[in-house]
Amino acid sequence: MRSASTPGAAPGTMTTYTYTSRPRAPPCRLRYRNGLTQQPDEPLPFGNIMYDRRVIRGNTYALHTEPQRGQAIDEHVQKLQETKKRAAAKKRAQEQLRPRTPEPVEGRKHVDVQTELYLEEIADRIIEADMECQTDAFLDKPPTPLFIPAKTGQDVATQILEGELFDFDLEVKPMLEVLVGKTIEQALLEVMEEEELADLRATQYAFEELRNVELAEVQRLEEQERRHREEKERRKQQQWEVMHKHKETSQKIAARAFSQRYLADLLPSVFDSLKEGGYFFDPIERDIELGFLPWLMNEVDKTMEHSMVGRTVLDMLIREVVERRLNTYEQKEDKHPFLKPEDGPGGPGPMRDPTTGDEFQEQRSLPSTEAPYEKLIEEEEEEEDPIGLRRSLGREEQFQGRESWEG
Amino acid sequence: MDATTGPHRIPPEMPQYGERHHVFEMMQSMLEQLLIHQPTDPLQFMIEHLHRNNDSVPKIVVLGPPASGKTTIAMWLAKHLKTNLLTLDSLLAMDHSELAEGARRHYERKRSVPSVLLVRLVQERLLEDDCISRGWILDGIPETREQAMMVQTLGITPRHVIALSAPDTVLIERNLGKRIDPQTGEIYHTTFDWPPEPEIQNRLVVPEGISERETVQRLLRHHRNIVRVLPSYPGVLKVISADQPCVDVFYQALTYVQTNRRSNAPFTPKVLLCGPVGSGKSLQAGLLAQKYGLVNLCCGQLLKEAVADNSRQGKAIQPFFEKEMTVPDSLILKVLNQRLNQHDCVHRGWVLHGFPRDLDQARLLDSVGHKPNRVFFLNVPLDSVIERLTLRRTDPVTGERYHLIYKPPPTMEVQARLRQNPKDTEEQVKFKMDLFYRNSAELEEFYKQAITLNGDQDPYTVFEYIESGITHPLPQRVP
Repeated sequence: MRSASTPGAAPGTMTTYTYTSRPRAPPCRLRYRNGLTQQPDEPLPFGNIMYDRRVIRGNTYALHTEPQRGQAIDEHVQKLQETKKRAAAKKRAQEQLRPRTPEPVEGRKHVDVQTELYLEEIADRIIEADMECQTDAFLDKPPTPLFIPAKTGQDVATQILEGELFDFDLEVKPMLEVLVGKTIEQALLEVMEEEELADLRATQYAFEELRNVELAEVQRLEEQERRHREEKERRKQQQWEVMHKHKETSQKIAARAFSQRYLADLLPSVFDSLKEGGYFFDPIERDIELGFLPWLMNEVDKTMEHSMVGRTVLDMLIREVVERRLNTYEQKEDKHPFLKPEDGPGGPGPMRDPTTGDEFQEQRSLPSTEAPYEKLIEEEEEEEDPIGLRRSLGREEQFQGRESWEG
Repeated sequence: MDATTGPHRIPPEMPQYGERHHVFEMMQSMLEQLLIHQPTDPLQFMIEHLHRNNDSVPKIVVLGPPASGKTTIAMWLAKHLKTNLLTLDSLLAMDHSELAEGARRHYERKRSVPSVLLVRLVQERLLEDDCISRGWILDGIPETREQAMMVQTLGITPRHVIALSAPDTVLIERNLGKRIDPQTGEIYHTTFDWPPEPEIQNRLVVPEGISERETVQRLLRHHRNIVRVLPSYPGVLKVISADQPCVDVFYQALTYVQTNRRSNAPFTPKVLLCGPVGSGKSLQAGLLAQKYGLVNLCCGQLLKEAVADNSRQGKAIQPFFEKEMTVPDSLILKVLNQRLNQHDCVHRGWVLHGFPRDLDQARLLDSVGHKPNRVFFLNVPLDSVIERLTLRRTDPVTGERYHLIYKPPPTMEVQARLRQNPKDTEEQVKFKMDLFYRNSAELEEFYKQAITLNGDQDPYTVFEYIESGITHPLPQRVP
C-alpha cells in the first residue's frame, strides 16, 4: 500500500484521505532468485493470499507479534518477559517521578476537601435497601370450574294432579294380562321344551345303547374279516414265495445244465486254439530248432572254413614253390638256354585234389622244365582267379546252402 | 422242489441268448487270456477282460514280398476298419520307450533291428491302450521264423493273416515304378497308382533300394523266410494273389478279414428259407432235414395237419380252407408257435419255409421269440420258375410225380395219362411270383443278415451253398 501509487494522497498530512487502488494480486517474493541476473521485465509472480504469512488469521483479540524470522520461540518468550519487566520497571520509575502533594506537616493530617461549587456527599457506605420477594409454594392447579353457560330462555313450569290423565288400574289390566299370559306361556313352553329334551335324551340314550352293541358286533366282524384277509395274504405270499423259489431253482438248474452243456467243449477248444496259435509248443522240438540246429550249422560252417583255409594255404604254398622253382630255372636258363615244352596237366591237378600232400606237389613239379613252368605259372595264375572266384562262389553256395537249411 | 415235479426244460431263451451274444467265444477268449497271462488274481483279471470287451477288434498280420503292395493294403485296411497300423517305421518312431531308442540306434548303425528287440518292441506297443481298444494291423512283422515263434510264445495271436504272393518278375518290374510321397508316407506307382493332384505328383520322390539287384536280393531273402513263417499260422492264413489291381486285392482282404473263425460253440440251426414259388425251398429243406436232423416245417403243411387233426385251431382254420381264403396271421402264428415250442424243434433246430411272406408276418414271428439265426433268399429268374413248375406232371395211377425235363416219365404209356395240377398253370405261377416279389424287398430289409443265393443251379450245388452258409459263422459288418 504505497501511497506513491495513489494519485490523490499526499504523504504526511493528517487530513482525511481517500484511498483507491485497482485490485491486484499481492506480489510474492520468491525465496530464491531465478538465475544470476534478475530480468526486470518478467512478470512478478503472484502469491496465494491464503498462504501469505503476513495475513493474520484466527483470533485477533490477543494481538501478539509474530516472532521475527530466525528467532526461536523461547527467545521470543524471554523477550516478551523482558519487555514486560522493562515496561513494569519503567512504569514504576515513572510513578516515582510523578509530582505528588507533599507529606503533611507533623501533627496534621491531610483532609480531602471538595472545592467544587456544589458539595457532594461522599459517603463510603452505599445506601442499601433490602427488598425481598417471594414466590408462593407451588399449589396444584385447582380443578377448572365447570363451564355453566349463562342461562338463556325462560323457565316455565306446570303441574299434573292425580286423576287428570288416566286411570292406572284400568289401563294396566290388558297389559298385565298380556304380560302375565306371555310369561306363563313362556314358562309352559320352557317346561315343554325341557320335557321334550328329556324325551330326546332318553331316545338318544336308547339309540346309543343299540348302537354300541351294533358297533361291537361290527368290530368283531371286522376283526374277523381282517384276520381272514391277513391269513389269506400270508398264505398267498407263502405260496408265491414257494412258487418263486421253485421257478428260480428250476431256472438255476436249467442254467447250470445249459451252461455245462454249452461250455462242455470249452476247455478242449481253448487248448486247441492255443496250440494252433503256437502258444503251446513241443519244448524238445523248439529246443532243437533254436539250440541244436544253429550249433550244427555253425560247426558245419567252421569245418567248411577249415577246409577252405586249408585250400588257401595249399594254394599259397604251391604258388610260392612254383615261383621259387621258376626263379631257379630262370637262373638256370640264363646259364643253359635249352627248353622242352611240356604240357602241364599237373597244373590244374593240384587244385583239384587238395588232400594230396605238399611234398607230392613239389615232387611232381620238380621234373618239369622251365617253359612249362612259365606256362604252368600262367595257367596257375589264370586258375587262381577262377579258383578265387570259385572259392568265393563256393562260399556263397555254402552260405546259401546253410541258409536254405535254416530258412 | 424235487425230482418228481415235472420235466424241467431248458428254456429256449438261453441258447438263443448264448448264440446272440457269442458267449462261447467270449468264454474261450477269456480263458485263453487267463492261461497266457496267469495272473495272481484271476477274478479281477477276468472282470477287467470282460470290461474291455475287445474280442471283436481286428488283429491282422499282413505279410508279403517287397513291392507286393502290402503297405498300401495294410494302410487301406487300417483306415477302413479304423484301427492302428504297426510297421517297422511306426514302431521305431515310438517315443517314451527305451526299447524304441535302442532299436533306433541299432537301425541307424546296421539298417536292421535284432529280432528280440523287435518282438519286445511289438509287445510293448500292443500293450498300449489304443491297440487294446481298437485292434492292430502288423505290416511285415514277423518276417522270419524266429520272430514268428517269439511272437507266438508271447501269446500274441492274430485272427487273420493275409499273405500276398506274386511272381517275382512282376514284383521286380513293379518295384521299379515305386514312388513315395514324403509328406504323407503314401506309396504311389508310376503306372498303376498315379496320384491325380499335380502338387502330390511334384512332391513324389524315388525311394532308395528299388533297383533290380536290390529287389532281387530282398526277394530272395523274403522267399527264404516266408516259407517257414506261413506254416506257423495254419488256420488263419489266406494267400491272396497280388498280381491283380490293388482294389481287387483290397476287397478280397476286406471280405476275408470280416469273416469270423469257425468256433466250437454249440449251435442249433434255425434256418429260414425264403424265395418265390418254385425256387426249391421244400427240396432244400428236405435235404437239410435229412442231413442235419433238423425239423422240416412247411407252413402250409402244418396248417393242413392242424385241420386234419381236428384240433381246436384246426377247427378255426377249416372254414378258411373251405372258402379258399388265406388264413389270418394270428391263427397261423398260433399253430406255428405251438409247433416251434415243442421239444424236438428246440433241441434239434428247424428249417422253416413258406411262412413270413410279408413284413407283418416276419414281425409277428419275431415277437413270439422265434428268431431264425440263418436266413436264405433263393433267387430264381421267372423263366426258370415257369419252366420248373409248368412242366410238372403227376401220374394219377401210381401217384408218382414227374417233370417233363428233369425227371421224364419212363414210358409213353405213363406219359399219356399224366395230369397237371391246376395250381401249376402259368397264370397261377405268375400271380404267386408277383405276390412274392411285392413283399420280398421288405423282408430282405427286415432280415439284415440274410444270405442271398442263386437258386437257378443244380440242387446239390445250392445245397452246398446253404450248408456253407449254415456252418460258417455270419460275417461281422464294420459299424
